[in-house]
Amino acid sequence: MKKSARALVLGALVLSLLAGCGGKKAEKVQIRFATWDSEETLTLQQAIVDKFKAANPDVDVVLEGYGDDFDTKIAAGIGAGDAPDVMYMWNFAHYKGGLEELEPWIGKEKPEFKKDFYDTLFNYTSIGGKALGLPIGYTTHVVYYNKALFDKAGVPYPQGDWTWDQLLDTARKVANPKEKVYGFAFQGGPDPYDFEHYLWNAGAAYLGPDGKLKGGLDDPKAVALLEKMQKAIKDGYAISSEGSGSKELRSGKLAMFVNGSWSIPSMKKDGIAFGLAKMPSVEPGAKSVSVVSVSGVSMYNKSKHKDAAWRFMKFWTSAEANKLRIDYEMPVLRSVAEGEKLTSDPIVSVFYQMLEQSGGRTPTSYKVESWSEMSETISEALQRVFNPTVLEAPSKALSAAAAK
Amino acid sequence: MKMKGFGRAATYALLLLCSLYFLFPFIWMVLTALKTEAEAYVFPPKFLPGEFRLHNFADAWKSQPFGGYLRNSLVVTILTTVGQVASCALVAYGFARYSFRGKGVLFMILLGTMMIPWDVTMIPLYMEFKALGWINTLKPLIVPAFFASAYYVFLLRQFLMGIPKDFEEAARIDGASEFQTFYSIFVPMMKAPLILVGVLNVMGVWNDYLGPLIFLNSRNKYTLPLGLAAFKGAHEMQVIPIMAITTLMILLPVAAFAYAQKYIVEGMSGALKG
Amino acid sequence: MRETSAPRRVRDRRRAWAPYLFISPWIIGFVAFTLGPLLFSAVMSFFDWPVIGTPRFVGIGNYAKMLTGDEQFWRSLGITLKFAVFFVPLNIVVALLLALLISRPVKGASVFRALFYLPAVVSSVAVSVIWGWILNSEYGLLNYLLSLFGIQGPRWLSDPTWAIVAIVIASLWGLGTMMLIFYTALKSIPRDIYEDALIAGASPVRQFFAITLPLITPSLLFNLITSTIGAMQQLSLVLLLTKGGPLKSTHFYGLYVYQNAFKHFKLGYASANAWFMFFVILALTALLFKSSAAWVFYENEVAAKPRKGGSS
Repeated sequence: MKKSARALVLGALVLSLLAGCGGKKAEKVQIRFATWDSEETLTLQQAIVDKFKAANPDVDVVLEGYGDDFDTKIAAGIGAGDAPDVMYMWNFAHYKGGLEELEPWIGKEKPEFKKDFYDTLFNYTSIGGKALGLPIGYTTHVVYYNKALFDKAGVPYPQGDWTWDQLLDTARKVANPKEKVYGFAFQGGPDPYDFEHYLWNAGAAYLGPDGKLKGGLDDPKAVALLEKMQKAIKDGYAISSEGSGSKELRSGKLAMFVNGSWSIPSMKKDGIAFGLAKMPSVEPGAKSVSVVSVSGVSMYNKSKHKDAAWRFMKFWTSAEANKLRIDYEMPVLRSVAEGEKLTSDPIVSVFYQMLEQSGGRTPTSYKVESWSEMSETISEALQRVFNPTVLEAPSKALSAAAAK
Repeated sequence: MKMKGFGRAATYALLLLCSLYFLFPFIWMVLTALKTEAEAYVFPPKFLPGEFRLHNFADAWKSQPFGGYLRNSLVVTILTTVGQVASCALVAYGFARYSFRGKGVLFMILLGTMMIPWDVTMIPLYMEFKALGWINTLKPLIVPAFFASAYYVFLLRQFLMGIPKDFEEAARIDGASEFQTFYSIFVPMMKAPLILVGVLNVMGVWNDYLGPLIFLNSRNKYTLPLGLAAFKGAHEMQVIPIMAITTLMILLPVAAFAYAQKYIVEGMSGALKG
Repeated sequence: MRETSAPRRVRDRRRAWAPYLFISPWIIGFVAFTLGPLLFSAVMSFFDWPVIGTPRFVGIGNYAKMLTGDEQFWRSLGITLKFAVFFVPLNIVVALLLALLISRPVKGASVFRALFYLPAVVSSVAVSVIWGWILNSEYGLLNYLLSLFGIQGPRWLSDPTWAIVAIVIASLWGLGTMMLIFYTALKSIPRDIYEDALIAGASPVRQFFAITLPLITPSLLFNLITSTIGAMQQLSLVLLLTKGGPLKSTHFYGLYVYQNAFKHFKLGYASANAWFMFFVILALTALLFKSSAAWVFYENEVAAKPRKGGSS
């Protein structure tokens, strides 16, 4: 009696397994794909997703757009064990425990697969040499300038390599504080990740030789540069902005500010005559470097449909998809950038120049375990220097933070 | 009740002063919705748009599937309002009009549920809804509303405590059952506060952003606030559509308020006299 | 004619059950949707519980660290208390004042009613954008208007001493809810009470303190408690408007908990933070409730007292 019952159960199990296998071919796999894009680009993204779906009838991709609150949603999803299968990613260090290591997947592809990407980019999607994401877009920082204000002041537009002294000198000439027109905007509360390249250009970094803030953040070379910057605010021709400076430039009252490519669409929409220049270096003749903000696509390491997810990721990073997203994500594949003549484009080319000369740097956030806390300490020190109502001496603010 | 000249003047002066604070940012919002983005950022600020771009509203609405968002928002708002009003009336009545064992403790627990920050219960709650298979459905936003939320229970209880004890005594002498007493005597008297609860719930749920953000995934399930937030990217935001959609979104709560206002004006006084 | 004793016993028993039946929806909902997550977070507070990775039991470690080794904890607690002390009374007084104003029989009262209520229905995303604009120190509307009068306005959002004031100004904008609650309470006061007072020749001020205020004390208690809770948990506006800055001058406790959970991924620690705040609010609420016996006036208690001696 018992035996036959067991046999029956076993039989049923085998049957259902067979049925499961047989059914699998017809069954559609559904994967979730989360992006931080806002309305402007979601429609285009949906079109690209639909293209993939048309070519892969066995996979259904659901596009989820979370805009500014992407991180809250992803953190909640990962915390509850229910994150999207494929997600946009930039803060690889923060989420590394939830992301699939991609080396084995990349290993299965042809060697050319990885070669077409600009080299520096994988630096930014890997932790400790392990790739956690495929690059899909990037931006370096550049100097935006308002042509109208330059013309009015009779000052030539910035060109090629230049230094901080030249930039501040230009800012002073363009500014007209009486009319609330300023030459340059510093951020009153800079993001520590985006700020580190200023130290790089000065020949320093957040971390000193022994991996602590001491000897890094408070390096005299960093202090000297920050003093120079702060003096420009005190002298009244530069301001400390509550945002990036883009709002001020768009209101016609600011000549220059530094940002990634993020401000381009709104400048274009407003019809502002603007130009982009390279980041300034500290030493004359030196090539400046910029921090690179790389966005990638990553796979959730508990995804149930990793094969389908990988196929989708490959499609999303393909030349075809790069081209489709060209208006809002700078292509990361050499073949596309060169083929579409972006490297000689009057506006966009500067990003490729900055990318080429910014290799070999790794931001501190990729090196330390507790960047989220360290960044708060750094952020506070930077605010003490740049907040217009504080303007504390950089030597004091930086050494206080480094002593923590 | 007639007011003297001075009192009337002072009242108007105060009203106008307050209107400036409450109305000005609001008017600014509506006017911005009609501008171009360049006009919105210009300094010194221009109050009126060069051209009243009414099509900004249509453009913003068409840029996303707002029709679907609207339907979802309506479903959630209507159902939660029905649920809250019905369940909170019952629960508040229980707490306000009876004395029973454990009431003090239970009421403190009820109040306590208002004091828990969502950040730490959200992930366990997500797991629970996941286990129920409710993620990416409207259920997590709707179902709990049928089980009385503390805020409205407390609010109604405060009103119910203000009704003299004679009413249920009279009803009991007449032989009415407990539920009859509640339904035919107290519910009519609670009309004003119940409508208040409805209005407050409409406005809270209509604008709720975190709940939908956490529990909904696909865009065809989104509610209006999620659509609104999609105009706000990590680096830049589209101010004009934000203002346009916000302006459109306030229409429903305002309509609810306009409807409710006349019932609230009647107050409970009429009922109490009876 | 039925016998009187048996049915009455049945009815008494029924009456004993009735209150539990009335409150049962809440009890079921509490057990189903609140209790579990609540206990879960209580358990988490004794663990080092990362969002990603394996939890590790640390006993009261989180609480000990928070109370003894975390500067930001005390700073955020201080800022929040400061905000609450500042904001709650202001919020209540202004809301009550507005409610009184709009319940006066002046022309256009219903228009003003809608006006004051309107901001409360604007979504927080838009509120933060609007106020960010108005309060921008260099190109903001407010400082521009002030400059027309020759006043140099403060740097609302970038001056650490003014940022918290800016938050108060922007928060007060949404007091329509509270005003509406007061207004409903005011409208629920039977007209004839005032008529009697008028005949007795009481001045408006006396009327307010002798009649109006006592009769709306239940709503006052409600608004006091909920706005205290709201102030202690203030998060969304700070998150959107100042992100806790400048220099952490608006790093409210709510933001502190939120960041511990979602920025630093320390769920266990954030739970301990949250539970600490829970007990602070609970103590405050209990205090308010205790004191309410002396100043809140419930009609049903007045009638009940001679017979039973109070209900709650």
